[in-house]
Amino acid sequence: MTSSKKKAKELVLLNVYTMPRRWKVLTTLLIALPWAILLTIWHQHLATHYLTFLKKETDENATNKSVILSITQTKEESLPCISLQANPAVQQYKEKYVYTRPPPWSETLPTIFVITPTYTRSVQKAELTRLANTFLHIQNLHWIIVEDSPRKTNLVAKLLDSSGLSFTHLNIQSPKTIRQGSKAPRGTLQRNQGLQWLRQQYNSNSVEGVVYFADDDNTYSLEVFDELRYTKKVSVWPVAFVGGLRYEAPKLSTTGRVVGWKTVFDPKRPFAVDMAGFAVNIQLILQKPNAIFRLEGVKGGYQETSLLKDLVIMEELEPKAANCTKKSPNTSFLKYVIL
Amino acid sequence: MFRTKIKLKNVFVVYFLVSILGLMYALMQLGQPCDCTQHLKSASELVHVKDKKISQLQAESKSLQSELKKLQDKVTAEETRSQTLPTIYAITPTYARLVQKAELIRLSHTFLHIKNFHWIVVEDSSVKTQLVADLLAESGLKYTHLNVETLKEYKLKENDPSWLKPRGVEQRNLGIQWLRQNRELYDEGVVYFADDDNTYSFKLFDEMRNTKRVSVWPVGLVGGLRFERPLAENGKVVGFYSAWKPNRPFPMDMAGFAVNLQLLLANKDAKFDLKAERGYVESSLLQSLVSIEELEPKADNCTKVLVWHTRTEKPKMKQEDLLQKQGIGSDINIEV
Repeated sequence: MTSSKKKAKELVLLNVYTMPRRWKVLTTLLIALPWAILLTIWHQHLATHYLTFLKKETDENATNKSVILSITQTKEESLPCISLQANPAVQQYKEKYVYTRPPPWSETLPTIFVITPTYTRSVQKAELTRLANTFLHIQNLHWIIVEDSPRKTNLVAKLLDSSGLSFTHLNIQSPKTIRQGSKAPRGTLQRNQGLQWLRQQYNSNSVEGVVYFADDDNTYSLEVFDELRYTKKVSVWPVAFVGGLRYEAPKLSTTGRVVGWKTVFDPKRPFAVDMAGFAVNIQLILQKPNAIFRLEGVKGGYQETSLLKDLVIMEELEPKAANCTKKSPNTSFLKYVIL
Repeated sequence: MFRTKIKLKNVFVVYFLVSILGLMYALMQLGQPCDCTQHLKSASELVHVKDKKISQLQAESKSLQSELKKLQDKVTAEETRSQTLPTIYAITPTYARLVQKAELIRLSHTFLHIKNFHWIVVEDSSVKTQLVADLLAESGLKYTHLNVETLKEYKLKENDPSWLKPRGVEQRNLGIQWLRQNRELYDEGVVYFADDDNTYSFKLFDEMRNTKRVSVWPVGLVGGLRFERPLAENGKVVGFYSAWKPNRPFPMDMAGFAVNLQLLLANKDAKFDLKAERGYVESSLLQSLVSIEELEPKADNCTKVLVWHTRTEKPKMKQEDLLQKQGIGSDINIEV
């Protein structure tokens, strides 16, 4: 029995050994096949991932395309821009800008809102003309003119239209007592009207800018607008020919904070600064809707205080113009003299 | 041996089975392999879309390039045109006073809007002052800085009314002399006498640019009137609307006329007369240059006011004077 079993075993062994090649090939195939199939499957899997990724990419590209289209639509404004892209020297660009009135509106600069009260008199057109000539050099300036008049006059309307500036034309008439009295503060109602328009037009989230009260008989340097553009709350600087002095200026501490006022006329006022000597961030105006210039019960010289006390405290003032050593705008009194 | 052989065979079988099972499992995980064709289709679609986009962008960039070229051509055309525009020379006499810097800054803002402009500032001073020199350098304008001091007997004293003696005559003459020395007869230009306290609309300079001999226009707020102006008919000046000394040969203000440069250079002796009577200074120059018939009326047949004879009031310095008497006047280093 054992010998037959042994023989059977031997036969099996022989079988195994006599057909080794075939078995070897078969076994290697059987080992390799599953891995090969697996690899191909995985490769395809990766390919599908790549395709979905591509699909996502094309969606993003669709938005890029719309941006390119919008750029081509603004080509009229881009004459100075294109001359810059055409690789001239920066100096050349500056010369070109000189004749572009005004410089193109920038999306990134804070807007300067200039509120100018005005009233009809013989020098009005001359004053507004030379004011416009100055403002045409300032980028992102919006001029809010408020006439002291029951109706908007043609003179001012035509002047604003032909100036090329961005403007808003308002009007409100002062009561007779103010118009005729020479001591009464002038322009209060008009400035408040300007503030009211700003508050109606903008809410806190939609605008970045600064409000400046520019009377029409003053002279302004271009630098003052650079200085005030980035006002965070209220900024102040010196003003020439006001208060009977060569100039009035804020008094600064050694750390550069405003601690007082270098004036002769009532330096103890909370804000002894001329109308042309400060600017307010528009957010402050919008956040405090009750801050206006007061008309009733305001002493001479306290107009500015009546507004600023509701907006800011002295410690928060930002001194400009090289720590208030450079005088920026002037107050020149213009009078028509018969030759 | 048998056992080990069996084990090996079993191992192979087991391994084969396990791998097949794993494969099936992996297939289940990854989805039907039949999706291959779908993926291929979407892949080719995406490729098509991208191709389309590329060609679109190329077309856009081509059109932008042609736009750019067009605008560049426009710019160079403007440049050549502005290079051939006659230069306007504005001669401005000035003198040191508190409002001088404010006035000159204001003027410079207006002048910056004018193409081919050359500002000739002549100080009434024995030396060129730092204030004016700095101002001119920072203004961004093309300029010439001159100075000549008015002779003592013709100088106004502190409290004299401004009209007592003619002002700026020697300074303007120096400006004219500079032009004679530095410009040739073939140079094209227009000479305008722009006082530093007037107000100018920059449209005025477009009007005067093509002056052939002497052009004239209305001036606002002068001569006691809302405006003074030449009366024009059919493009010729036939008279003057003026109330103050209307019998002057040329009853006009300094700001109301401009002279062609070549005319000025050709008449070597033409200049302002220092000894001229009040109001006759303008006539003293124009008489030797032109007759009334030759005047060219501008500004819509002299019906538009583009320049105003404004005057600036002297600022009240009462407090400053008081402080100075006490020796604590304001800081001189701060320029006003």
